[in-house]
Amino acid sequence: MIFGRRRSRNPLVIALARHALLVAVLVVLLYPLLWMVGASFRPSNEAFGTLSIWPEHITTQNYVDGWSLGNLNFSRFFLNSLAITLLAVVGNVVACSMAAYAFARLTFPFKRTMFALMLGTMLLPYHVTLVPQYVLFNELAWINTILPLVVPKFLATDAFFIFLMVQFIRTLPQELDDAARIDGCGHVGIFRRVILPLSIPALGTTALFTFISTWNDFLGPLLYLVRPETWTVAQGLNGFLDATGESAYGPLFAMATLSLAPIVGFFLAAQRLLVEGIATSGLK
Amino acid sequence: MFRRSLAAGALALGLLATGCAGGTSIGANPNEGADGTGDVTGNIRVSWWGSGPRNEATNAVIDLFKAAHPGTAVEGESADFQAYMERLNVQASSANMPCVTQLQGRQLNDYTTKNALLDLQPMIDAGTIDVSQIPPEVLDTGRGLDGKLYMIPYGAAYDALTVNRTLAERSGAGLPADGYDWDAFADWLQRAQPGLPDGIKAVGLGGGLPNNFIAYTAGRGASLFADRQLGFSEDLLVEYWDMWERIRGAGVTTTPEADGEEPDQTEQRYVAQGKVLADNLPGNALTPAQKTLDGTQPGQQLVTLPLPAGPSGSGNVLFTSGFSIPTSCDNIPTAAAFIDFWMTDDGAAKAFLSSNGAVTNTRHLQQQLDDPNLPATKRAELQLYQKIVAQNPVSVLYPPGYQASFEGAFVRAYESVVFGGTPTRDAARAFMTEVNAALASS
Amino acid sequence: MTAGTAAPVAPPAAPAPSPARGPSRRTREALAAYGFLAPWIAGMLLLTIGPMIYSLYLSFTRYNLMTPAQWVGFDNYVRMFTADPRYLASVGVTLRYVAISVPLLLVVSLAVAMLLNKAIAFLPGYRAAFYLPSLIASSVAIAVLWRQVFGQDGIVNKVLALVGIEGGSWIGNPGTALSTLVVLHVWAFGSTMIIFLAGLRQVPKEYYEAAAVDGAGAVRRFVHVTLPMLTPLIFFNLLLSTVNAFQAFTPAYVISGGEGGPLDSTLFYTLYLYQRGFANLEMGYASAMAWTLVVVLALFTAGLFATARFWVHYGDER
Repeated sequence: MIFGRRRSRNPLVIALARHALLVAVLVVLLYPLLWMVGASFRPSNEAFGTLSIWPEHITTQNYVDGWSLGNLNFSRFFLNSLAITLLAVVGNVVACSMAAYAFARLTFPFKRTMFALMLGTMLLPYHVTLVPQYVLFNELAWINTILPLVVPKFLATDAFFIFLMVQFIRTLPQELDDAARIDGCGHVGIFRRVILPLSIPALGTTALFTFISTWNDFLGPLLYLVRPETWTVAQGLNGFLDATGESAYGPLFAMATLSLAPIVGFFLAAQRLLVEGIATSGLK
Repeated sequence: MFRRSLAAGALALGLLATGCAGGTSIGANPNEGADGTGDVTGNIRVSWWGSGPRNEATNAVIDLFKAAHPGTAVEGESADFQAYMERLNVQASSANMPCVTQLQGRQLNDYTTKNALLDLQPMIDAGTIDVSQIPPEVLDTGRGLDGKLYMIPYGAAYDALTVNRTLAERSGAGLPADGYDWDAFADWLQRAQPGLPDGIKAVGLGGGLPNNFIAYTAGRGASLFADRQLGFSEDLLVEYWDMWERIRGAGVTTTPEADGEEPDQTEQRYVAQGKVLADNLPGNALTPAQKTLDGTQPGQQLVTLPLPAGPSGSGNVLFTSGFSIPTSCDNIPTAAAFIDFWMTDDGAAKAFLSSNGAVTNTRHLQQQLDDPNLPATKRAELQLYQKIVAQNPVSVLYPPGYQASFEGAFVRAYESVVFGGTPTRDAARAFMTEVNAALASS
Repeated sequence: MTAGTAAPVAPPAAPAPSPARGPSRRTREALAAYGFLAPWIAGMLLLTIGPMIYSLYLSFTRYNLMTPAQWVGFDNYVRMFTADPRYLASVGVTLRYVAISVPLLLVVSLAVAMLLNKAIAFLPGYRAAFYLPSLIASSVAIAVLWRQVFGQDGIVNKVLALVGIEGGSWIGNPGTALSTLVVLHVWAFGSTMIIFLAGLRQVPKEYYEAAAVDGAGAVRRFVHVTLPMLTPLIFFNLLLSTVNAFQAFTPAYVISGGEGGPLDSTLFYTLYLYQRGFANLEMGYASAMAWTLVVVLALFTAGLFATARFWVHYGDER
C-alpha cells in the first residue's frame, strides 16, 4: 500500500527497491545484535572499545569456554530449558485456548465476573505475588522441581494468552459455529473442528510467545531451580556476569548468540503456522 | 501509626499465613546444638554470589569438605550479586535460607535486626568454629548492632586507587607519594591531566561514589554511623562535595553523563579500558581489570594504591564477605563444620585462593603469598591488603537499610549537584534528612 | 470492566436449532463452559487468587519479609501520596513513558506488519529478522548492547559526528535516558507486530476483492477493510501495551543497574516498587503501590472496554 501505482511499469525495479529498503532498515535495527555476534568471535578482553562489527582477531575460544561453564555445560542448560519450554508451550496452548473458547463463544452464569477477574490478574505487578507464591510452592515442596514453572501453564494462569485468543476467536464469524451446530456438533465438536483449525494463527502466536518468554525467563528458574544441574540457559548466561568478581563477556556473547538459535528456529517453524495455516488468507 | 496484629485466620489464608510468619520460628525448636556440637552428617545448602571462576573455586571447596566428612551432602546455590540478594530475601520470607548463607557486612544488619541469623559466638566458644587466625578488627566486621557475632568474615575486600602506571609515567606526574592525602590527590590529578592523551581524563568523577566518602570520613576520624543514624556532620559532607566540585571544575574528571552510564562490572570500568588514568576500584578487581586492559590497550600496566589518607590516618576500610547461619537452619552442626572447614583447612584455602577478597586467615594469607606460582596481580592485591590491615583500619558497622537507603540516596544527591546545579549545602541537607528518616524506620 | 464481552453472544440472525429444548440447552452450554474453564478455575483458586489476596492484605501492613506483618491500616497509601517525593517522581516517569512509547509502538508494529504481509521474496527470512530485536530486548546482554548504541562512544554519536554534531552520553544524561528506553521498547516491536500480522492473515481475501471491484485504492482499502477487521487486535494491543508499559521493569532494571538513574530519570513505577519491596524490605509499602496501580489500570481497562462498542468490530456481531 506504500508504493503507488504510477511508476509500476517495471516490477523488477520495484522489487529491488523494496529489498534495498528492507535491508537498510534491518541493518540499522540489527546493529546491536550484529555487534554482539561479532564480539562473540573476539578475544574476551577485546570485546569493548570498538563499534566495529567485524572482529580483528577471530577466535572461537569464547564458544569453547562458554559451552563448558565450570563442571557443567550448556548442553545441560539447553536440555533443561527445552524441556521446561516445550511443556509450557503445550500447557498454555491447551489450557488457554479452552478458556478462551468459553469466554468468546459460550454463555454461562458469572461470565462477566470471571472475565473481569481474569483481566484483573494481568494488572497486578508480579513482584508482590512473588513472595506469597514462593511460600505456597515451598509448602507444596515444589522447590527444586520444574513444577512451579510448568503446572501454572496447564492451569491457564497467564491471562494474556486467554485474552489474546478471545480476541482472535471473536474475529471469526459466528455463522461458522451455527453451521456446525446444525450439522450436529456439540461444543467440543465446534471447538475442535471449527474454532481450533481457524485459530491456527492465534495458537501459533501463543505457542511462539510462550516459547520465548519461558526460554528467556530468569526470575522463575532463579527462585525455583537453584541446583546448578537444573539451571536453564538464562541462568547460565547470568552466571557469566558478576559485579563483585570477574565477568566473562566473550563467553556471554557467544552463549547469548547460541541461545537465540532455538527461538529463531521455533519462530521459523511457528511462522509456517501463522502464514499458511489458514485457508482464508489475506493479501497474496 | 497504631499497631494491631490481625487475628489469625481473619483472611482465611491459613496456609499462607503460617508460611509467611515462619521467619522467626526460634521459639519452636530451642536450637538444638546452637553451639554447633553434634553429628556432622546429612544435607546442607551453601549459597554465594559470583560468576564462573568463583563458582568453580567454591565447588572445589565443597568437594573437599564432602571428602573430609563422609555422610554429608552439600548443595551449592549461586547467582550474580543482585539476583542472589533477591532470591535470598524471598527465601528468608519463607524461612528457607540456606544453612550456610554468605553475606557482606553491608547487608548483615538487614537480617540480624529481624532475628534471622544465629549468634555464632557459642560455636566459637564450644570450639566448633575456629577463628583464632583472623585478626580481631577483621572479625569485628561480622558483628551486629547488638555487638554479637553473626558473620564469620572469610574474605576482605578494600577499595584501592587503581592507577594506569603507564599513562601516569608518560604524563610526567608519576604516582602519588606514599601517604598522600586528598589535597595531594587533587594536585596530582591536575599535574597529570596536561600530559594525558586527548580524550583521556585523569580520574572518574567520584563525588557520588559512597565508598570514596567512606574513605574520606575514615581519614577525618569521623564515623559514618552512630547506631541507626548518620554519624558525620552535614559540614563534612559539604566539604567533601565541594572538594569534588573543585576537581570537576578543573576539568580533570569524566563528565557526569559518562559517569552516569559507567557500569559496575570491572571489565567495563573506564580505568580497565584505559579511558581514565585513575579511579577507585575494589582491590580484588585488579586481576580482571588488568586482563581487560591487556586487550584494549596492550602494554599498559595498572597498579593499586591505598586511598587518600586524612589528618586522622588511613582512609581505607575493609569490606568483608562471610558466612552466617540462619535461625531456620535445621542442621547447625554440619553448617558449623562447613564454616570451620572453610576457615581453617589449608587445602580449602588453596583451592579458593582468595577468590572473593583477601583470605582473612593470616596463616592462609602467608601461604598464598609464599607460593611462587601466585599470579602477579593477585600478589599485589594480597600485599596491599596486608599493608592496610597492619594500619588497623576502621571497621564500619552498617545499620539495617544501609545499602538500600544510603548508597542510592548518595548517588542521587550528588547527581542533583552535577546535573541540577543544586548547591552542595542543599544537597547534603536533603541527603541527610532522607537517609536519617529511612534508617530510623528500617 | 467487561462492557463489551458478554453482550454479543446470542446473534439475532442465528437459526436456533431446537427451540423446544431451550432451557436444557442453556444448562448444557453452561456446563460445557465450566468444563472448558476447569483448568483456569483450578489455577485461579489454587495458584492465583491466594497470593493476590495476600498481597492486598499486605498492602495494609508493615511487612519486612522476615518478621510477621503488622496491620497499619491505610498508612502505606497515605504515605505514598503525602510523604514520598520519589513515588511521585516514579509516577511522572511512568506516565511519560506510557504516553510516548505506546502510540509509537503500535504505529511501528502495524506499519511493519503491513509491509511483511506482502508477497516478497525471502519473506520468512525478513519476518524472522524483524522479529529478532524483541528476542534479546530482555536479555542480560542488552545493557552492554544499548551502551554500544547510545553510550558516549556509541554508534549514534559516531553518526552524529559525521554531520558535525557532538553528542554526549544519551544513557547517562537525565534529560535523554528515558528516551533511550522508549527507543528500546519500540525497537522490540516484534510481539506486537506478530499479533497484527496474524490478524492480517485472517482478513478474508474476498473483502479486498470486493473492495477492488468497487474501485477502492490502497488507502481506502486500508481504511475500510483492513483497519475495521483489525480492530479487535488493535484493541488488544492497545490495552496490553498500555498495561505492559505501566508495568515496565526489565529495561530500566537492566540498563540502569536497578537504580533508575541518572537522577531518577528512569525510575519506573515497578522499579521503585521493587526497590521498596526487595531492597528496603518494605513489602507492605510495595504491595500498596502495586494495588494502587491495579486500581488505575482497572479504571483504564474499564474505560477502554466502554469505548469498545464504538470502534471495535467483532466477527460474532454482524
